[in-house]
This record gives sequence, structure tokens and C-alpha cells, in this order.
Amino acid sequence: MPLLSLQNLTIALPQGADRPLAVEDVSLQIGRNEIVCIVGESGSGKSLTAHAVMGLLPRGVMATGGSILFEDADLLKESPQAMRRRRGSDIAMIFQDPMAALNPVMTVGHQVAEQIRAHRAVSEHQALKQAEELLGQMGLKDPRSLLKAYPHQLSGGQRQRVMIAMALSLSPKLLIADEPTTALDVTTQAQILKLIKRLQAERAMSVLFITHDFGVVADMADSVAVMRHGRIVESGTTRQVLGSPAHDYTRALLAAVPKGENYLPPPAQAKALLQVSGLTKRFRRGGLFSRASAITAVDQVSLTLSRGETLGVVGESGSGKSTLARCVIRLLDPDAGEVLLDGADIAHMRERSLRPLRRRIQMVFQDPFSSLNPRQTIGDIVTAGPRILGEDAGKARARAAETLQLVGLKPECMDRFPHEFSGGQRQRIGLARALMLKPDVLIADEPVSALDVTVQAQVLKLLDDVRRQMNLAMLFITHDMRVAAEVCHRVMVMRHGRIVEEGPTRDIFTAPASDYTKALLAAIPGRQSL
Amino acid sequence: MKLGYIAMRLVKTVLITVAVVLLSFFLIRMVPGDAATVMAGQAGYADEAYMKGLRAEYGLDQPLPVQLWRYVEKVAQGDLGTSYVRRQPVVSVILERLPNTLLLNAFALLVAAAGGIWLGSVAARRPGSAGDSAVTVLAMLFYAVPQFWLGMMMVLVFAVWFHLLPPFGIETMGSDLTGLARLGDVAQHMILPGVTLALYFLASYARLTRTAMIDVADQDFVKTARAKGLTERQVSRRHILRNALIPLVTYAGLQASLLVGGSVLVENVFSWPGIGTLAFQAVWSRDNPLLLGIFIVTAILVSLFNLITDIAYSLVDPRVELGR
Amino acid sequence: MSFARRFFASPPAVFGFAVFLVVVAIALAAPFLFARGPLSIVGMPLLPPGSPGLLAGSDVIGRDMAVGLAYGARISLLVGIASTCCAVGIGLLLGATAGYYGGWLDDLLMRVTEFFQIIPTFVLLMVLVAFLQPSLGSAVIGIALITWPQVARVVRGQFLSLRSREFVEAARVIGMGDVRIIVTQILPNALPPIVVVSSMMVGNAILTESALSFLGLGDPNLMSWGSMIGGSRVAMWVAWWTTVLPGLCIVITVLALNFIGDGLNDALNPRRRG
Repeated sequence: MPLLSLQNLTIALPQGADRPLAVEDVSLQIGRNEIVCIVGESGSGKSLTAHAVMGLLPRGVMATGGSILFEDADLLKESPQAMRRRRGSDIAMIFQDPMAALNPVMTVGHQVAEQIRAHRAVSEHQALKQAEELLGQMGLKDPRSLLKAYPHQLSGGQRQRVMIAMALSLSPKLLIADEPTTALDVTTQAQILKLIKRLQAERAMSVLFITHDFGVVADMADSVAVMRHGRIVESGTTRQVLGSPAHDYTRALLAAVPKGENYLPPPAQAKALLQVSGLTKRFRRGGLFSRASAITAVDQVSLTLSRGETLGVVGESGSGKSTLARCVIRLLDPDAGEVLLDGADIAHMRERSLRPLRRRIQMVFQDPFSSLNPRQTIGDIVTAGPRILGEDAGKARARAAETLQLVGLKPECMDRFPHEFSGGQRQRIGLARALMLKPDVLIADEPVSALDVTVQAQVLKLLDDVRRQMNLAMLFITHDMRVAAEVCHRVMVMRHGRIVEEGPTRDIFTAPASDYTKALLAAIPGRQSL
Repeated sequence: MKLGYIAMRLVKTVLITVAVVLLSFFLIRMVPGDAATVMAGQAGYADEAYMKGLRAEYGLDQPLPVQLWRYVEKVAQGDLGTSYVRRQPVVSVILERLPNTLLLNAFALLVAAAGGIWLGSVAARRPGSAGDSAVTVLAMLFYAVPQFWLGMMMVLVFAVWFHLLPPFGIETMGSDLTGLARLGDVAQHMILPGVTLALYFLASYARLTRTAMIDVADQDFVKTARAKGLTERQVSRRHILRNALIPLVTYAGLQASLLVGGSVLVENVFSWPGIGTLAFQAVWSRDNPLLLGIFIVTAILVSLFNLITDIAYSLVDPRVELGR
Repeated sequence: MSFARRFFASPPAVFGFAVFLVVVAIALAAPFLFARGPLSIVGMPLLPPGSPGLLAGSDVIGRDMAVGLAYGARISLLVGIASTCCAVGIGLLLGATAGYYGGWLDDLLMRVTEFFQIIPTFVLLMVLVAFLQPSLGSAVIGIALITWPQVARVVRGQFLSLRSREFVEAARVIGMGDVRIIVTQILPNALPPIVVVSSMMVGNAILTESALSFLGLGDPNLMSWGSMIGGSRVAMWVAWWTTVLPGLCIVITVLALNFIGDGLNDALNPRRRG
């Protein structure tokens, strides 16, 4: 008998939402001692399904049909008190962002102890002792002092381990994990996934794992269900679904995952268009009355970039890659070093001399939801640059129509506002804005990180096409090695502000020299199986 | 580490007080009306020799920078000058009345905070309900009522029509009560002006608490708390309210100087012998030293109060490190 | 839903707007509605409302209360709106500059706003009005001078956060100059909270003006609601209408303005649920 059985589950959204049903007629089974993944893009309903099992649906969202059978009981028919007793003891859940998911004003030890004492009659002292033991089992060093720490004093990985410790404190039969590693660095992600797998095996626990990443599915799941628009389109064992996907959508999803296999060879030796040497940027903290501390975000970084080539800058959060991009494009002023754009050093130029050179180096930003002014029409946004340079408004609009078509959008969208477009479309608009100035260098700062995987693949292809067509020199910033492998000729790995390794993509991926690069590559989910 | 921070804040308080002294000195000096004329008028003498003598006595015949320097010197020694009108040291005049204002303000703060937080948390428990709307409307009403008029209405209703509470003063006139009986008498007199002063801030606290609790209830860690199997009451108390208190502490600091301003009106309506009435009299009688003294004392008190709320804030929110 | 439709969807906002329009109408029409000004004596003092020819009764020295209330509306609205416009003008200019450019300008602005938070601003207002001689103009200037720091803080906060948004960075990258960025990119997005604060400030300014008049620091030649209440102190115990009616006018007007402010807030920042 399966541990959890969802039968024809339907969840309705409140009035005014973009569709009436979040989840429609979903059936799924989780056996004992089994890891089941639900995989889907944003809006697929996978997260709400998980919340429904815990009885934690948000206000206004309700399960209107079907049943959720846990062992023998229908959770949808249970009283609130009975459901509350199950939460944390029979079924536990961990969430995506561990910083937001922990109470910022309570110590870690207290929060873990709180869960224990909610279901067992033990003293605070005993609960804390149990908490200490659990934290140790999660691989956390010095658990005793951790008990007194507050969440903001811990790293992302440590916080997620605390959440897992809390969730497993009463040995639940089912653990629900809602995208628990999406907000973590790739090396940390690999560690947490390993931890969850180990704990699952040790405790013979069932796990319902929600994710958008097929690589994770390949590494973790025994069975998988693919969701789209609230319905399950395909399900089966991992081997079945990944090896021979039956549904078109599954196939499309699998195809969209960047494989990092077709390595682009570096182009024929061309003259370097952009030459950065010794770039350094420090940030100072502390005001008039406190100790000043300095962080060196970018430390003596050098690189060259030629026309027609894409250089990838890969690193985890805090590596300095975004700061590097912003220094090169002079959104930040570097403390030292040179940035030669076709011979002219723009690193320390005054704004007035810099202004005419700005059009030669443009940028595509990360967040599609804040990179476009919500109160301007697309036409205004895209033609602003040329108009500032003196181009006639009519001519600019005509060119804008062409450029928008180039990036795959209809010219009619020029009179509409950003909120009417999807994330992928907004990134295309951002690209059009940059291209309108006919730049020589294009910096793409994590341009696809905020996009769903199918959309991601489209935008990456677009960027590559544009680069080729307009013979641009492209600097591509990303934290995802797989993405870098798709579009970059050369790759530079950064860590703590310094370059760790650099070279042609094929060399970096097949024969990495530094340990850090090796660790990054090993951490890629699904590397072996996909 | 903490002691160092406190020391630094005290230094900051001194600096701000100096700034207040300088700026207020010049501002108040600009009020027209030669003080000597005012004083002479009060004394009944008007001849030139007498006024010349007054000016020399109060140093008014010296150039402005000299006056300022002598004043700063005196302040550093704790002497705030002599009141033109009362012919008494400003410090003693203020100290006579200060406790009354502090008493009133402390009472008002307590009523406002306790009442407001309670109302706000009741409203936040079920947003959009009838109870919630009622609290919101009530809060809006209190925002729109002028404090002095509210005071007069309170007197009308509770003192004139229903004879429940005394209409003015701090104690029953001519009575000779001591000890507990006196305390009770003062407390009775304090209720109307205290509640009048408090009502505006009560509305603020209620709205702030309501908003803060609704915002906090949306956050992920509240979901985690429920996922742990805690009861709704435990979630509300330990997780929601505890975090919602944080912005409220900041607000308490902000309202400190507003209370003194409100005091002027409320003390006026209820004839409460505090420094609000003192300030009012000082403006009318062009009593510059007294006015300046009130500014300085208020600034120091508000600064100290802000220091206390800052420390309280750092205790309530562990993310804030003292010394930023 | 368009902004206008969202605003008028809320009953309190509609109520507030309607009441405000009525008050404005009465204020504008006052000279035409009544034959004589508010200061002329029309009959016996302390006649109750409903007495012949006296809709709202007469005050301590026999003036028509209704005329006084209507003319009082003119004062309140004038001072409220004028002082808020000035305060917003100053606050916008200083707050935008400090928030966008940062550095010592920002530090200076922060110290100044801190100063205004620590001193008793109402006492300062009394001193200022006394210095400038009590009049309509001095009330407007005084209130503007003590309230602009509030606006500046809100504006600064908005500019500080918007300055680092990606679309502002994008504007810099395509070569837009500072002034153009401030005016075309940041300001339109910073307006919603500024508009809401401003509408609340009009209400507060009306309350402050009435407090000044109550204490005798208002324009001595003009009749305002505050001075009516102040003048009624001696008669309050026997002629409640001399105190209650002007006070109710203040409450209704300020309440209407606060409802409008709330409505603006909801219309400009639609949230998922209440």
C-alpha cells in the first residue's frame, strides 16, 4: 500500500486569478522508502500540490475535489486539530529560501526545540539536547554553539541543514521538499542533495521532492511526475521518463536542459576589442562612528575579448562576477586597473568623455521584472538611447520595429507596457534596447537565470544568433556552468574576486586544472545521468 | 562593545544638543520685541535709565556672538539663565513643572501603546472582517480630531454633564492631601488629559500594529511555524507578534517629540501645570531664556529617549548590531 | 483596472471625495451665500441653532455661526493646501537630490531631519509665527517649514531604493544624463507614496492651523474654525454649539482627506488582499 496517494486532486484559485484551477485532476502515488519528484516550470501547480498535502494552502486557495490519502486517512477530510498533530510529526516540509523560512528573532536551537516540544512532552533542556544531536547528524560543526546562533549569522547551506534538522526531528514518515536547493549555490546544492539522499536511506523515509531542474530529478528520484498548467502530463520511473519520454512536453523540457556538450571552438584569432587588466574594486563598510571594513570584490582581474567571441564568467554568489561586469561598463567606478575599449581606457574617464563611448558597450540585465521602467511604453524604452544621441524620433521608431522583429517580437508591442509581457519576452525587449545602439560589446549579466528552462533555451539561442549576426563581442556572466557551456567559446572561473582558471570551454569542462573548477563541475546535478 | 556604543550615542546627544542650542538661539533672537521693554513694561517702569540697567544686567547690550558664547558657557555649567518675566533661574522654573509633563506623557504613552497594540492585533487576526473595519474607522476618526477640541469635549462630557472627573488642574484646589490620597487625587486629574493626549497615538499604534502583523503573517517563516505543527495561538504570539513589535519600537522613539508638542495644547485646555503651558507663556511674553531653556531640555530628553528606544530595538531585533 | 476605477471602487474614498467637494464648494461660495462677512454682529449672543435666521446659532458676541463656519472653511483649506504644496516642493527638491546623489548631501539632509525630529516642532512653529507676526502667510510659511522634513525623508527613501533598480542602471548604460534619469525614470515611479503622504499632510496642516488659531496665534482679522473654538471657551459650559460645531467641521474635513489618502494608497499600490 502506498504511503501517500493523491487521487484526482483539484485545487481552485480565488476569483480574479489568471486561471480558475491551479491543479486539475492530479493523481500520484508515493510508496514507502521512495523518492518521488514532481518536476515542472513556474505556474505548473507543483508547489501548491505539495502545500495541499500539508494543509498549508494560502488564504483563498482551496482543494475542491479528489482526495489525499495518507496511509488510510483522507487528509482533506481531517479536522484542523488532527491535521495540526500530523504536521511536523507524520509529515514534514522544508521550503525554498532558508533565510526567509526561519524566524529571524529566535535562536536556531530554540526553533528546533520548539518543533520537538510541539508534539512531545519534554522539557526545554531535553529538547535542546536533542536539537544539538540532530544538528550534528546534519553535518553541522560545533552544534552546541550553533544552538545559540540566529539565522542571519549562518550561511545559506547551514540554514538549510537547520531546516532539515527541524523537519526530521520527529522522524516523519514523509518529507516534502519544495525546491529546497534553488536558492543555494551549486556546490552547496550538491551537498544538500547528498544529505537528503543519505538521510532518506538511513531512515527509510519517503520524500516528495518538488523541482524545476531535470538534473536534480536524474540524481535523486526513483519516480517522477511531470506537471504542466496544473495537470500531470507524464509519470513513471525515472529511467522510463528520462530514457524514453512519451509526451511532447517532457521531450521539450529534457531538450531544453543545457547539456554542456557541444563546445564552441574559439574563433580565429581576431584583434582584441576589449582589454581589461588589473581591475580591482573594493567596498568599504561602516560610517562615521563604527569600524571600517573593506571587502575586495574584484581583485586584479584581467581578460581580453574579441569580436565574434563569447567569454563566459562563471562563479558562485560573492565571486565578484557581477561587480566585474558593472565595473567594465562603468556603472561602478573601479579602484584600480585599466579597461581598454578599442584602445581607449574607460576605467577612470570622466562622465563627460565617457558619454559618447557608452553606446559601444551595452548590457542585458538579469531580472526581467525590474529591468524595464514599468511606466514607459516599449517603444519609448527601446528608442530612448538613440534619441538621446540625437537620432530623429521617427527614424528611431522605424529601426525599433526592425530590431524588435530581430529578437522575435511583433512591432505592435511598441505601444504596450512591460507588465503585459512574460519574463522571456521582457528579456528580448532588454536585448532590443541594447542592440538599438549598435554596440560592439554586449555584456549579458545572468540573462536567463530568472527564466523557465524552455524559455531559457530560446533566449540563449537568440543571444548566440545575435552575436553571430552582428559580430558582437559578448561577455556572458552566469552561475550555471551548463549554460556557460552552451554559448561560450572561452570560460573564466571566478572565486572570491579572483580568476581561478581560464581557457577554451572544452578544456575547462573536460580537463579542469583547479580543484575549485573540478568541484563546480562535480556539483552539476545530473551530470552523469543526463 | 555595548558600553562603547552607549558612550558614542551620548556624545552624539551632546553634539545634537549643541546644534539645538545654536540654531534655537538664533531663531529665538529673531523674535521682535526688545526683552528689556517687555520686562520694564511688566515692572511698571519705563524710563530709559532703568531699561539700560536691565540690558546691562542681562547682557543684552553686548554684541550677538558674545551673548552666544556666554550663554554656551553657562549651559555647559548647567545654568540656563534667568527668566525675564519670573526673575527666577530658568532651570528651577523648568524643573518645577517638568515632572508634571513627564508624568502626563508617560501615562499617555502607556495608554496609547497598550491600547493601540491590542486593538491592532485584534484587527489583524481577521483582516477584512467587521471587527477589522471597525478598528480602522475608529483609528481614522482619532486621526482627524484636533487634540484641543477633543480635550474640551472630554471636559464637557465627563466633567460638566456627568460630573465624573475633574475638569482641570493637577490636584483639587486648596486640598491638603498627602501620601496615597494625594496620589489618587492626582491620578483622577490625570485621566482626562492623559487619554486626550493618548488618543491620536493610540490610533497610530493600532494601524501600525495591524499593518505589521498582516505583513509578517505573509512571510515564509510563519508557514514554517505552522508546518511544525504549532497551534495558531503559538504561531500568533511567538512568531507573528514578536516580529511585528520591531517597527513599533522605532515608532515609540519617533513620537517622543510629538508628545511634547501635543502637551502644549492639552496642558492649555486642562490647565495642567507642565512645561507645555510654560512654553506657551514664554512665547507670548517674549521670555527668550525660558523658551530657549525649554528647547534645550526637551532636546536632551528626546535624545535620551531615542537612545533608550535604539537599545531596545537592538534587543528586540538580533539582526541589528549595535554600532551598525 | 484603471487608477480612477480602483479609487472609486472603495466606498470610504468616494465618501471622502464627496465630502471634500462639498467643503470646497461651501468655501468658494461663502461670499456669495451670505450678505455680510463673518465678523459682523447680527443679533443677541449665544442663541441656539434653529433660532430665527440663525442656522447654527450665534456665538459669544452675537456673530452668525453659520457664516463663521463657511468662512472658516476658506482659511482651513487655503492654509492646508498652500502649506502642503510648499512643503512638498521643498521636500521633493531636497529629498530627490540627497537620495540620488548620496554622499555628504545625504548626510546633511539626514542630520537636518533628525534635528526636526528632536526639537518640539509645535513650539518652534509658535515662535516662527510670533516672529513673522500672526497672519495667514506666517501660518502657511511656518507649517511648511516644520513639515517639509517628513516629505524629504519619504522622497529620499524612494530615490535611494529606485536608484539601484535595474531599469535605472539601464538608463545610465544607454547614456542618459542624471537630470533626465531623475525626471523621466525615477520620479514617475516614486510618486505614489509621495502623493499619499501629501494628502495626509493637508489634513495635518488643517489640524495644526486650527491649533494655532485656538491659541490666539492665527490671523486676528480672519475667522477660522480654531479661533471659533478658542473664543468659545468661556461659553462652552452653557452654549455647547459654539464649541462642538466648528470642531465637527474640522473632524469631517480632515477625515474626508484621510479617506482620500487611503483610497489613493489602495489605488496606487494594489495588493493581493486587504
